[in-house]
Amino acid sequence: MSGLEALLAYLTDGGAWQGSAGVPSRLVEHLVLCALAVLTASLVALPLGFYIGHTGRFQVLGLNLANIGRAIPSYAVMVMVFPVALAAAAPIGYDPRLGLTFLPIFVAMTLLAIPPILVATFAGIAEVDRDVVESSRGMGLTERQILRRVELPLGLPVIIGGFRVATLQVIATATLGAVLSGGGFGRFIIDGLARRDEGMLYAGVVLVAALAIGTDLLLAGLQRRFTPRGVRVASGEEVVEAIGDLGSVAPPSLRRA
Amino acid sequence: MIEIRWDWIGEHLDDVADKTWQHLQLLVIPMLAGFLIALLLGVLALRRPGTVGPVTAITGLLYTIPSLAAFAVLRPIFGLSLATAIIPLTAYTLLILYVNTVAGLRSVPAEVNEAATAMGYSSASRFWRVQLPLAVPLIMAGVRVAAVTTIGLVTVASIIGGDRFGGLGQFITEGLQTSFDTKVYLGAVGSVMLAFIVDILLLGTQRLLTPWARARALST
Amino acid sequence: MRHHRRLALGASLLATLATLGAAGGAIVSAQEQPTVRVGSDDFYESKLMAEIYAQALEGAGYTVDRQLGLGSRDTRAPAFEEGQVDLVPEYVGSGLGYYVLASDDPGLAALAVGGDGETNRANLQAAYMLLGIEATVLGMTPGEDTNAAAIRADTAAELGLSKLSDVPAVADQLVFGLPPECETRPLCAGALEQYGIDFATIQKEALAACGAEIADALAGGAVDFGWLCSTQPAIAQNGFVVLEDDLDTQPAENLAPVVRDDFLAQLEGGAATLAAILDPVSAAITTEVLTELGVRVAIDQEDIEDVAADFLAGLAG
Repeated sequence: MSGLEALLAYLTDGGAWQGSAGVPSRLVEHLVLCALAVLTASLVALPLGFYIGHTGRFQVLGLNLANIGRAIPSYAVMVMVFPVALAAAAPIGYDPRLGLTFLPIFVAMTLLAIPPILVATFAGIAEVDRDVVESSRGMGLTERQILRRVELPLGLPVIIGGFRVATLQVIATATLGAVLSGGGFGRFIIDGLARRDEGMLYAGVVLVAALAIGTDLLLAGLQRRFTPRGVRVASGEEVVEAIGDLGSVAPPSLRRA
Repeated sequence: MIEIRWDWIGEHLDDVADKTWQHLQLLVIPMLAGFLIALLLGVLALRRPGTVGPVTAITGLLYTIPSLAAFAVLRPIFGLSLATAIIPLTAYTLLILYVNTVAGLRSVPAEVNEAATAMGYSSASRFWRVQLPLAVPLIMAGVRVAAVTTIGLVTVASIIGGDRFGGLGQFITEGLQTSFDTKVYLGAVGSVMLAFIVDILLLGTQRLLTPWARARALST
Repeated sequence: MRHHRRLALGASLLATLATLGAAGGAIVSAQEQPTVRVGSDDFYESKLMAEIYAQALEGAGYTVDRQLGLGSRDTRAPAFEEGQVDLVPEYVGSGLGYYVLASDDPGLAALAVGGDGETNRANLQAAYMLLGIEATVLGMTPGEDTNAAAIRADTAAELGLSKLSDVPAVADQLVFGLPPECETRPLCAGALEQYGIDFATIQKEALAACGAEIADALAGGAVDFGWLCSTQPAIAQNGFVVLEDDLDTQPAENLAPVVRDDFLAQLEGGAATLAAILDPVSAAITTEVLTELGVRVAIDQEDIEDVAADFLAGLAG
C-alpha cells in the first residue's frame, strides 16, 4: 500500500473521526494549546512591543531578547519543564496530568511565539510615519491616545503579520507535545510512528499543514481588512522589510516611501 | 530537585565536542544548501516576478510540515545517515531565506539599478556587484533567523536519530530516557549557547559586510 | 658445502614465504571480516545488550557499526527486516508475540507464546521462517526482563491491589500509562482485556514503555498504572508495587541476539562462528545481572560503553 493509499484509507475510516483519539478531538486539543500559547505570548509581547515601538527606546535590547527567544529550542524547553511541572503539581494543586501532557509543551510554545509578535509589534509601531505622530502630538493627543488611535491602526497590518508567523510556527511545532504524551495532531504522528501506521502518520502531517495554512489564510484576510485604505497591503515582505530595517545596525529609517 | 553533576560534564568533554561538531555540521550544510537554492529562486524572482507567489507558497507549505514527521518519514529511506536530517533541515530554511532574499533584492532602489546599467554594468555583474551587496542586510537578517531556527530543529532530529544524529539534542533525548537531568540540561543549555554564539558571529559578519550601514547610522 | 647453502637458502626462502603467507593470510582474513551493523530499541536495556554484543564482537576482531536507539519494536523490527541493521537483541516472548499474536495465518497462530523461554525462542525462529524473514536466533540469556504492571505503593494500599485481577474493579479510578503501540499489541492491550480491563474506555496516557518518562509520570502522579520493565531500577527506587500477572498473560522474556542470514553468509562457518562468540556472553546474563547493570546505567548514570566493557572484562577474568 503506498503512502497516499494508506493516508486515504486512514482518513476515510469513520473510526478515525470519533472518540477522544479522533480527528475532531485532536483538532480541539491542538487549537486550544496553540491559541492559549499565542494569547499568553501576546500578553507579554504586545505591551513590550508597544512601549518599545512608541518610545523608540530599548530597540536593540528588544531585538536581542527576541533573538534569545528564537535561540531556545522548543524541544529542550519542553523536556526541561517536564520534571518541574510534575513536581509542582502536588504543592500548587493542579492535576499532575496537566504537568505531563500540557504544561511542558505550553511553556515551550509560548516562548516560541513571543519573539515574532514582539518584533513585529515594535517594528509596526515604529515604522509609522513620524510626521503623522508629530502632528498628532501637535493636535494635543496624549501619548496613549497617539498609540491607540494613530500608531496602532497604522501599524496593525505588520503586527498581524507577526501573529501570522507566530501562529504558523506554533501550530507546526506543537506536535512535539506528543513526545511527552500530549494531545493534538502530534499524536497522529507519534502514534503512527510507534505503531508503524503510515496512514496515521501522514494524516497527522496533512492535518497540521491544513490547519496551519487555513489559519494563515484567515489571518491574512484579517490583515487585509485592517490595512487602512490608502496604505499598501502589508505582505510578508513588508514585515520582513520592517524588521530588516531594524535588524540592521542603524536606528531604523522611519520614513516609508 | 534538579541536580547537575558537573563532574560528569567534566569527564565527557570529548563527547560534548563531538556532539557540538555534529550540531554544527547539521547547521552549516542545510544553511549553505538553502542559501544557494534561495539565491537561485531570488534571481528567478527578479526576472519573473510571477513566481514569487507560488514559490513563497511552496516553501511555506514545506515549513508547515512538522519536523518530527519529516525526519521520521525519511528515516526508512536514508537510514541513520545524516541525509535523513539534512534534507528536512534544508527545506525549513527555504521560506525565510527566500522571503528575505527577494525582499533584499527588491529593496535596491530602481534608480540605483538604472544608474548601474547606465554605467555599463552587464546584467550579471550588476547583480553580483550592486544588487546583491545592497540586499545583504535583509538577507543576513534572514540568515540569522534561519540559523537559529535550524539549531533548534537539529535537537528534534535526535528523537528519531537514535544514537547517531541530533547534535547536542542527543544529550536531551538520552537524558530523558534514563531520567538524567545533567544530560538534559547540558543538551538544552548547550544548544541555546550555540545559537547565541552563531547569532553573534553572524551579526558580526553582517556588520563587516555592510560598512555603509554603520556610516549611515553615525550620520543619522 | 653448496648443498648446505642451498638448503639454508631454501629453508630461509621457505621461512620467508611462510611468514609472508601467514601475514598475508592474516591481512586477507582481517579484510574479509565484514562489518556488523548492530541496532537496538530506544530504552536503556536494549541499548546495553546491543552494546555488550557489539563489544564482544569487536573483541573477536569484527568492526561494528552501531545504530542504537532505533525506536520501539515497531520501528526497529522493520529496520532489521529490511536489512538496515544486521544484529539486534530481541526479547523472545514479546518478539514472538509481535509476529504471531495478531496474525491470521494459522501456521503463525499455532506458535505458542508461553512461559518457557526455550520454546519461545524456538517458535521465534519458526516464525521467521514462516514469514520469510531470513534471520537466525542465537543462544539466549537465562535472565529475563518481563513487562511489569507497576503502581505506586500508596495506590496499592489505598485500593487494595496486589494482582492484575484486582484492577478491573477500580479501573475507572486509575489513569493508565501505556505505550502508544499498546492498542495494536496483543501482549499489551490484549493482556489487559484478558483481565477484564476495557482498553477502549480507560483513561490513558501514551508513554513509551520501560523508559524514564513513564517512571517519572508514575512517581509524579500523572499516571497511576505504568507499563514498566521488571528490571527497571525505577521500580525499587520509587517503591513501586509490581502487580502479579496471575493469569500468566506475559510470556518468558529471555534475550537473544537475532542476526540476518545474509550477514551470516559472509562468515566462514556462518551462524556457528557468531554463536561461538556470543552464546557464552548471553549465558552469563542472569536476571540479577540485568538488574545490576540496569542500576549502573539508569541510576548511577554510567556510560553504557563502560558498563558493557566492565561486564565483558568480568567474564574474561
